[in-house]
Amino acid sequence: MATSPTPTNIREDALADVPGAAPASGAPIRQSNLWKDAWRRYIRNKGAVVAGAIFLLVVLYCVIWPFVSPYTGNEVDFTVAKQGPSLSHPLGTDKFGRDLFTRTAEGGRVSILIGFGATLAILLFGVVYGSISGFIGGRVDNGLMRFLDALYGLPYLPFAIITLAIIGRTDMWTMMIALSIASWFTTARIVRGQVLTLKENDYVRAAKAVGARWHRILVRHILPNTLGVLIIAIFLELPAVILGEAFLSFIGLGISPPDASWGAMAQEGRTTYRTHPIEIVVPSVAIASLVLCANFIADGLRDALDPRTRET
Amino acid sequence: MRNKIRWPGLALLVSSLALAAGGCGGDDEAAGTGATTEGGGGAPAAEQVITVNWGTEPPSLDPGLATDTTSANILLNIMDPLVRLDKDLKPVPGAAESFETSEDGLTVTFKLRDDLKWTNGDPVTAQDFIYAWKRTVSPELGADYAYQFYGIVGAQEYNSCDPKKDKCAALADKMGVKALDDKTLEIKLTTPQPWFLQQMAHHSFLAVNKKAVDQFGDKWTEAANMVSNGPFKLAKWQHNSAIDLVKDPNWRDAASVKLTRVNGRMISDGVTAVQAFEAGETDVDAQPPPPDEIARLKETPEYVQYPSLGTYYYGFNVKNISDVKQRRAMSLAIPRQSIIDNVSQGGQLPANGFTPKGMPGFDTINPASKWSPADADVEQAKQLMSEVANPKKAITLYINDSPGHRDIAVAIQAAWSQLGIKTTIKQQEFAQFLEFLGPPPNQSVDVYRLGWIGDYVDAINFLELWTCESGNNNTNYCNKDYDAKIEEARKTPDNDARYALYAEAEDILFGDNGDMPVIPIYFYTFPGLEKLSVKDTFEFNLLSQVDLTKVVVAG
Amino acid sequence: MLKFIVRRIFWTIPVLLVVIFLTFTMMRQIGGNPFRHSERAVPEAVQRNLERKFHVDKPWYTQYAYYVKGVATLDLGPSLVLRGQTVNDIVKEHFPKSIELGVYAFLFALVVGVPLGMIAALKHNTSVDYGAMFFSNVFHAVPSFLVATLLIYYIALKGGALPTSGWSTWEHKIMPSIALGFAPMALFARLVRGTMLETLQQDYVRTARAKGLRYRRVVGLHVLRNSLIPVVTAAGPLLGYIITGSFVIELIFNIPGIGQYYVTAVNARDYSVVMGLTVLLSVIVIVANLVVDILYGILDPRTRDARA
Repeated sequence: MATSPTPTNIREDALADVPGAAPASGAPIRQSNLWKDAWRRYIRNKGAVVAGAIFLLVVLYCVIWPFVSPYTGNEVDFTVAKQGPSLSHPLGTDKFGRDLFTRTAEGGRVSILIGFGATLAILLFGVVYGSISGFIGGRVDNGLMRFLDALYGLPYLPFAIITLAIIGRTDMWTMMIALSIASWFTTARIVRGQVLTLKENDYVRAAKAVGARWHRILVRHILPNTLGVLIIAIFLELPAVILGEAFLSFIGLGISPPDASWGAMAQEGRTTYRTHPIEIVVPSVAIASLVLCANFIADGLRDALDPRTRET
Repeated sequence: MRNKIRWPGLALLVSSLALAAGGCGGDDEAAGTGATTEGGGGAPAAEQVITVNWGTEPPSLDPGLATDTTSANILLNIMDPLVRLDKDLKPVPGAAESFETSEDGLTVTFKLRDDLKWTNGDPVTAQDFIYAWKRTVSPELGADYAYQFYGIVGAQEYNSCDPKKDKCAALADKMGVKALDDKTLEIKLTTPQPWFLQQMAHHSFLAVNKKAVDQFGDKWTEAANMVSNGPFKLAKWQHNSAIDLVKDPNWRDAASVKLTRVNGRMISDGVTAVQAFEAGETDVDAQPPPPDEIARLKETPEYVQYPSLGTYYYGFNVKNISDVKQRRAMSLAIPRQSIIDNVSQGGQLPANGFTPKGMPGFDTINPASKWSPADADVEQAKQLMSEVANPKKAITLYINDSPGHRDIAVAIQAAWSQLGIKTTIKQQEFAQFLEFLGPPPNQSVDVYRLGWIGDYVDAINFLELWTCESGNNNTNYCNKDYDAKIEEARKTPDNDARYALYAEAEDILFGDNGDMPVIPIYFYTFPGLEKLSVKDTFEFNLLSQVDLTKVVVAG
Repeated sequence: MLKFIVRRIFWTIPVLLVVIFLTFTMMRQIGGNPFRHSERAVPEAVQRNLERKFHVDKPWYTQYAYYVKGVATLDLGPSLVLRGQTVNDIVKEHFPKSIELGVYAFLFALVVGVPLGMIAALKHNTSVDYGAMFFSNVFHAVPSFLVATLLIYYIALKGGALPTSGWSTWEHKIMPSIALGFAPMALFARLVRGTMLETLQQDYVRTARAKGLRYRRVVGLHVLRNSLIPVVTAAGPLLGYIITGSFVIELIFNIPGIGQYYVTAVNARDYSVVMGLTVLLSVIVIVANLVVDILYGILDPRTRDARA
């Protein structure tokens, strides 16, 4: 049975530890080495570098192109509807005659913003909840996990649907809420599992044995070891969120027109896929490329950052 | 974008993977899927079986509880209504061999045929109708369409009774329906309702077998329990996937029924439904194809398009957009024909009034509003807009979240931007949307989209929407003159005189000096797909109902 | 271990009450009239009759009490919208189809994904590894509606090999299962590869190998067992996700499962159906999590005593 601190000594410990009072020997140097090493390792991974570059490129295109483009993504002109790719419209136009290259950039802004926003919210919730639960353990852990079980009972898509229905409108912010409110449970569970395993590691036991305080163990030993996992988790969660947004859009819960996310564009495109397939292909490829890059980046980061693979 | 190159590769891989996993089974599914071979005209095919995609699961096959078109279509083919509507929507005898309306228009008498039988062998009597109707009106059943009966003496009182406080049985007895004998049915009306006979063709007025209801309760509509009295009977009802009908050989006019079996499917997604049709899994796709697919499907001979009694419109919250000139300008700026050709695609008709084309008396009633042209008149609209004292240049348009409505909204948003109006489109999910509209509508609503599909064949069904007290008037519009015209029309049994009153009412709304509380956009059509073998005989009427007794599969 | 299991089962009761309460409260927050199905306004008398019939006129705590009582007696009440059908009927008719779809998809993911990940890890940094990971990355990235659309287009429409939609014979079940199992398959492959690489570098594996244990045995005994931990962790929620997250697939293939139903029910404000399905899903997910925890304990004995 792991020793779990009672509420009183949590507070005592917290009060006793004044920031800067006792700098751990050599800690900053070790940190900087870790990141430098990681960076070196990352740029050695060609796939991850290419993926990172494409990812950046896509993001830059989405951010910058709408300012530069001669078109706006919402201009309706039926005379130029459903055109194939041409010099003036590199990806052609959609059924409203809107330039797809511009519209894809604008849709990307929405998708990426929703993606990052929701991902950060998910991580924040998940890490706080999971590490508290895993580290404190015992009854608190049990209670928190049972509550999490209850939330698990509201699976992610239905929960998102109910949430959107309660808010009563769909825009970028409500999408972020709907997607994160229902998705942090897994992160919390994984973080907890990670913490639980790390807690049993020899160096943590050793630290405990020599009387290190709980938060020091958490901050010095456990969190740095999960940090890599978390950064990886950003790039693992991002695709899930982007795809989740696409699903919601697909079943008709996308953001309000004329704005569109990639998911909403793909949904529109599905109805024309027999005659004008580019309308579903472009946003789907955009989604897939972003998700694919994120996965490669996650892999690269995993190899570069994970402290346990560091020695090889 | 490096992934683009790999795309075909992926598709290939996906296909080969699935092929490997699935072997190459390609046999038709369960027996009786009558995806017949094509071939127009000629002699009837040996196998008179068709598969129809109805689009949705019928929420209920209880005549008292059904409210939607799928249920209506099934019910009207497995039951025998007193009155059927012919091609021109004129009432013709059904289960009733004759009917007659008294001089004052307040009493209607039906004489039933002698050869009517339930599928359990019992004869169909006048009491069966009275039982069904009182059951529907009873407060205990909680039927949505109880209000269809409000035109009958005592029905509204009975329906409004609270079983805990009042003596409802006494009220039920007072309802103005009486069986003079087993075959004669007498109905007393509160006012002369010239449309009452057409209304009798509605599925709410079908008979119900008391024995079946008593024995099975709520479950009497399941395939194993159902007792019906029409040309077909329910053979199988697998919720949300299949509803199969077979011919009832004992029906009074079974000799004229050619189809032996009608397999029903419920494919709600338009794209999926088109795929199933093209793969030969269905013979008729009664789920309107998605607008974007129509342009392609129109090129095929299997595409069909029926006119339909319905009007698609945008309503104003007249409290927010109070200047009639702005309302006219906004209506003028809408390119109806272009929206139909490019967005909705189904060959709909640009609406220049509220009563839809096909409604009896349409030529008299239609106001041909100059504020509602087929092609936008942006110049005049701008002119009008400049005359508006206090124009509202930032407006909020509410729609429910469905791709079709969204696309139309986007087109109209673009049209209004030419007038310098910035439109914010807010999408809501349907239930919420309806609650938001009231009446009265939420303050933030400036414009909303809705449609109205006729229940029965009289313009009153459309025009009464815009009376002050109407539960479907979400505009805050209230004009006593208009209400007076509608009230007068209710009391006018003579068709021509009544149509003239409807015309005057339309004029108040859309005439040269019209108030324009709503913008008519288009009159609905009902597009679908039909295999050539049934195309000639499978016909939807203006209420989107099909008479399966008329369908013959050509060989 | 037994004590642990018994306690976990005991815990499900308050958890269920919380789930019911949460769903109940959330549904009540949504505006909208469950008795209005179309544009048509509902006359006042009709509205009152319906509210009386379905006890919606009672105060919320009475309704909640009714409901909990119903759940306790396994009666989930009548549907407010599909007249004549009870939630039990709906569950009986539609749930098995969703479960079936979910199980097939899950099996597909497991059977293809786990070996793929293992091979990739064992052949680390070879073309096999790159190839496997590239494809599992691509599969993980492609939205399932596109996979489904492509499958239907190439196999059903162009190839005529399989039916486009429906759920009756085994031919109907192939494409939806693959389309739904695609992303989890890729996820499994990635998870297994990741942990396996990690485990291969753990001290005890290296020790075991240094001790001269045969490679195969090391992989089989230590590495695979530890590599399955994240799969097991992910499998619980994933199973729930697959079963309920099949909305899109059920829509595209017109499968009469509950995924498609759920959205309709939420939209129609069919409170009893939404709550019934949610409670049911909760039971499934809770049971799945329970199984995961037990497996977790078996696979990683280190966590067992800490959780007992």
